[in-house]
Amino acid sequence: MPPQLRLNAVAFVSPQNHPILIRTFVQGQDELKYHYIAHTSLDVVDERITTAIASKSTECYLNLLYTMEDVAVYGYMTPLKVKIIIALALTDAVVRDADVLTIFRALHTAYRQSVANPFLRLNAPIDGYNDHAVLLAAGSPKWKAFRKRVDDIGKALQHRFILGSDSGPFPLLSEEIAQVLTS
Amino acid sequence: MSSQSQRVVVTYAAPLVFLSTDHWKQIHASLVSQLPLRNLHWKSSSRPTIRTIQELDIRFVPLETLREDQTASQIPQSVLEKPLLNIYVFICEDSESYKATTRKQIKDWHASVNQRKNQEWLLVHVVRPDQSVAQGRLFQMKTSVLDKVKADFNTDKKDRCVQLVWSAEKDNPAVWADLMTKIKEGVLSAFDAALTQREEEVRRSEGQRQMPGWNFCTFFILKESLASSLEGMNLCEDALQQYFELEATFFQVLREKNLSWFGPLITPSGSDDSAPLLSTTKKPYRDLILANTISVFDFRVYLLARQCALLSKLGDLEEICQKTVTFLTTMARTLRDVEDTLPPLFIESWQYSSALSVVDQCDEWARSIEMGKPALTAFNAAKGELVELARQQLDVLGIAAGHLPIRPPFSLSLPSNYNTAKESQVKDASQSLSNAELASALLNKEAFYELYVSVTNRAIELYANAGRRKFALKLHGSLAALDVHRDRLSSALQTYTSLPAHYSPHGWTSLEAFMLNRALDIHASAEKPRDREWIHILLHFLRAYVDDMGRDLLMNKEDSEAYVAHLVQALNDAARIDTNNRADTPSPDHTALSVMIATHDAQLAETRDGSLLRVVVHNKLPCDIAVDEVEVQLAGRENSRISFSERVSKLAPGRNELTLFCPSSAAGTYTLFSTRVSIARLHFEWKHMKTLKQIRAGNMPILVHIPKDLKALDVRLKQPPRIELGMSSKVMVILSTGRNDIATAQVKLTPPSGIQFKYEDAEVSGEDAPPIRSAADSVTFLDLKHGQTVVAIVPHSDASAYHFMRVAISVEYVTTSEPDITRTLNLSRVVATSLPVAINVEDFFRGTRSVTCLTDPLYRLFNIWQTIHALHPIVNIAPTRARAFDAPPVAERGGRGKGDELYGSEATITPAQPGRFLFQMDASRGQVRDPLKLQISYRMLREGEFPSRLFRLESECVTHDFTEVESLIELAVEEVVTETPTLERLRQDMVDKLVQALETDASWVELYGVTGELVVPGVAPGDDDLGTGLRRVLEILNKRRLPTSFGEWREIVIPVDVPQMHPISALLTVQTSFHWAPPEDTKVESYMMRYDIEDLTQDWLISGRKRGDFLAKDGETFSVPITLIALHHGELALPKVGVTALPLPGEHRMRSSVVPGCETHQVHGAEKVLVLPRGGRTTFVVNMGAANTSM
Repeated sequence: MPPQLRLNAVAFVSPQNHPILIRTFVQGQDELKYHYIAHTSLDVVDERITTAIASKSTECYLNLLYTMEDVAVYGYMTPLKVKIIIALALTDAVVRDADVLTIFRALHTAYRQSVANPFLRLNAPIDGYNDHAVLLAAGSPKWKAFRKRVDDIGKALQHRFILGSDSGPFPLLSEEIAQVLTS
Repeated sequence: MSSQSQRVVVTYAAPLVFLSTDHWKQIHASLVSQLPLRNLHWKSSSRPTIRTIQELDIRFVPLETLREDQTASQIPQSVLEKPLLNIYVFICEDSESYKATTRKQIKDWHASVNQRKNQEWLLVHVVRPDQSVAQGRLFQMKTSVLDKVKADFNTDKKDRCVQLVWSAEKDNPAVWADLMTKIKEGVLSAFDAALTQREEEVRRSEGQRQMPGWNFCTFFILKESLASSLEGMNLCEDALQQYFELEATFFQVLREKNLSWFGPLITPSGSDDSAPLLSTTKKPYRDLILANTISVFDFRVYLLARQCALLSKLGDLEEICQKTVTFLTTMARTLRDVEDTLPPLFIESWQYSSALSVVDQCDEWARSIEMGKPALTAFNAAKGELVELARQQLDVLGIAAGHLPIRPPFSLSLPSNYNTAKESQVKDASQSLSNAELASALLNKEAFYELYVSVTNRAIELYANAGRRKFALKLHGSLAALDVHRDRLSSALQTYTSLPAHYSPHGWTSLEAFMLNRALDIHASAEKPRDREWIHILLHFLRAYVDDMGRDLLMNKEDSEAYVAHLVQALNDAARIDTNNRADTPSPDHTALSVMIATHDAQLAETRDGSLLRVVVHNKLPCDIAVDEVEVQLAGRENSRISFSERVSKLAPGRNELTLFCPSSAAGTYTLFSTRVSIARLHFEWKHMKTLKQIRAGNMPILVHIPKDLKALDVRLKQPPRIELGMSSKVMVILSTGRNDIATAQVKLTPPSGIQFKYEDAEVSGEDAPPIRSAADSVTFLDLKHGQTVVAIVPHSDASAYHFMRVAISVEYVTTSEPDITRTLNLSRVVATSLPVAINVEDFFRGTRSVTCLTDPLYRLFNIWQTIHALHPIVNIAPTRARAFDAPPVAERGGRGKGDELYGSEATITPAQPGRFLFQMDASRGQVRDPLKLQISYRMLREGEFPSRLFRLESECVTHDFTEVESLIELAVEEVVTETPTLERLRQDMVDKLVQALETDASWVELYGVTGELVVPGVAPGDDDLGTGLRRVLEILNKRRLPTSFGEWREIVIPVDVPQMHPISALLTVQTSFHWAPPEDTKVESYMMRYDIEDLTQDWLISGRKRGDFLAKDGETFSVPITLIALHHGELALPKVGVTALPLPGEHRMRSSVVPGCETHQVHGAEKVLVLPRGGRTTFVVNMGAANTSM
């Protein structure tokens, strides 16, 4: 039984809890649901952060946040406090944290590469405060490249499932995503 | 069959005789009261750390009650099934009785017990309290019995014998300490041995997993026995670990799809869907497992229930809730695969009932647990998730039963492969569901809604307690959606209008837009009036809409553009409906529109006063928006504001370029303050002011530059040409109309604090003076022609505290050509209030004549000029005659060697070179009593508005506020125009061009400052008429300025208080006596002496010989007449007179002249003269009371 990690939606949320990007990869589903999920997840993320601070943990991966009907919501926080929230289709099988972490790392890389674009700052107000998340904030036209990167990751994941693999979970996932990212 | 109540068993035995005594009963009771055991430390060989068992309950049973054959069962039971420790209690007083009876008894018991596997034994020797005979003998005897017992039975190292000294203080823990320690040791060691053996068995079984014939269920039971053993020992964590391992193995089995050991996935029984999830006794799970007939569903429920039971013992209720939520959702998914075989709506019902039952069960458990705040919060959150899960099932059930519509938010809970339930299914379900509440709700709409609301509220409450605001918000949203469905529109509207505020602050525009959209829809369907509230909702919606995120989704309308267009139209209509009744509705920082400055230089309107500013309005909406007015406010110096506006009818989508007009714009540099787009009384407003912090961060304000309109109305302030000290100060208000015919112009002057203008006393000067109207706070000029300059002189209160007065001028004027526009001109002008010259007066009197000496010492103002300003502070003073005195100046020593010039001449005075003027006044021909006034005519070589100039030079930034240079240019142009009258029409062009050149480049300032030559940079005259004219003007300007370009003549009139004199004639007499002369000097007949009257300038003026030499002879008197004039009244001491001897002529001693010694005393030295005040003028101020007092 190959693990059926299926990415339903991805949300990037800024350190100030502003949405940066919310993408869904499920056909015919109401996007509202994933917006709700992203939004409500922030509560849980905050709880996790509080406990992480209490235990002085510097772990980025915030583990399973909660499950809802047919999705399991996982959280990740980059060192610069950008929150990445993914909704995986719920399966009965055990989901290995390592697999989820691979997805998160890929998404984080996508975000990092998008933010690293020096032209983002071209018309940005020099507000003195260095919140790069503002540059990518939802609706910005500079959003496109980033959206494409995230979509590519989503596609790469889906592609993986269609092919199916009995050789264990994601032996090639990281490489494939890496390919997508570098192409 | 349950292993939950498994407890550690300890058997006891004793001689039968002893068992029947009361004494035994007492011991038994006391022993039981010492239980449970506390603080056991279990050091297991297979586990790395020492486990501490806080408390261990023990079942204390007689040995014979346990039947041996119980262990014969093949099913692995907990290792605690069998006793862990056997205790034999005996009393033996002496060695004899021990040998006789007791040893035999113990031997029998020991034989039966010692053989048992994994059991320990313990001998307890009770020493009776009444046995206290002789100490020594007793002690020896006691030891001997115990020693004997030890020697007989305790063969290995481990000490299994203990003595219990049974005393009256039976509750004293010290009495029991020994025994208890032994019991603990025994129990732990037996348990350890048993567990190690069992673990070995489990390991062996696990190793055989791949072999044929291995059975998961058998393995499960075996391993579970480990868990229940650990649980019995209160080692819940270890027990839980066993279950986790079991679960992992199960999933492995599941992955291998080797489910032959199980029954079908699920065999739903009647009450499965509503049975309490966490009950381990609701089904005979173990039997089912042993029979290999348990369904996977039951198996997993059992596994979960056992885990949760252990977790509850550990007090980790949050974990229980989370586990169950995960389990319920994942299991439901698995069940969906076989949904067809299940009763209709079984899964939903099961999830619903289970979730709620878990919450109830957890609350039950929580009652006995003390939870800290963070734990309680987490617990609440987890419970909330469970209740929400139940609520989601209600969504599904409601949709299935037709109580809820299939659309968000209800449809969000639908599983992805959901098929609409048929009505018949619902009917069946209502029959088959064992949860009566649900079953009835399926049929009864109202009951369903009630259930829905109560469950939702429960979840909201839990989330609120857990601090999960966003979850609660979502549920509120769903409640509102239910209200909509139930046609409770007003409450739904209320919720929907309040919710967006929670989403907008963090930019969750998608959710915000959804809520607002809903609110608008409801508003429309409720047919509520489109009031202010509606406008607010709509504005918020549009704001969310223009954000890309909002446009992306959540529009439930097909053609969103048309929809928005419709809304915008509606907004427009609503904004215009009875605008009179409504107050202004501001909408700050709306993102749908934005106004930006297109050019940072405003243009002059040329034909009328005012300037034009080009702006770009961006309309991000997809449709036209009808507006009324676009306005831009600029902020200038000292908070002055000007506003540009234009009436517009509509704004097309995208970029709209507009030109705004401001009728009253003072020249200067302004920052963009705010922008505004108005629809009737609905104002979209944007503030553009930057805080200091933002500016520091590099976020600069937007600057707009407005050029000076030379033909516009202008007001200047000047010091009047004639200043009369002692009279009230005045200021000249010069109003030039420029191109306008002015109907009225109201001028208000706002002086610095402490100074008042007296508008009532304002006068207009000059010929052709227009009529004016003075009010308390303003002066109004009426009917002015274009090109006219009016001067009004307004007196003001004393301003001597200031050198300069900064006066804010506000002019409201109406031109005759545009009578409906009231223009307001706000200016800030500086006017000097102090005198440019300072005057000191000294008087000398000779008979009827007096001499006044004017000195002009350094003046502070000039100092300022000299330090900061490299200009020439030269003052011409032309002293004039004082009235009533025939006072030609007799001498004048002043700057530039003009000392010999006489009356009427001019002198240039600089701070370094004060002028001295001497006047001789003969009072013989005039009335001395007239006040004496000094009139000084002067003109300044340089003049200007000092502070603004200072500021300008400091910052090296040339603004256009330089009257002086401008007048210079005007003069030069005037000159050229007089030379060649054909250039008249180009006159203004030339001035403009030169002024503009000066404004753009500051390089001329320095040269001009030093030499007065004005080299206008950057002007390249062409070959046309204009070029010729310009060239000529430049030539004139390049010359050193002529005196004609200096300022006008001014006057200062200073009252000089020449004292009225009553001279006192006095006679100074000096009497000389040589009486005390030394004997060798007796031959000398006379000495030269000198007298000197001390000059008390404060008190006396002394006329006559103040100092003189006389020949002193013995006994003779020298006298000289003098005149004294008292300078003030009061008691004045007479001037002191000093008399000294002069050196003797021709006599030298020791090469220095010889001075005779002398002593002087003044006869009237201590006398004082009373000087009475002159004339009697006394002012009495009598308070007459207020005018309207009742006198």
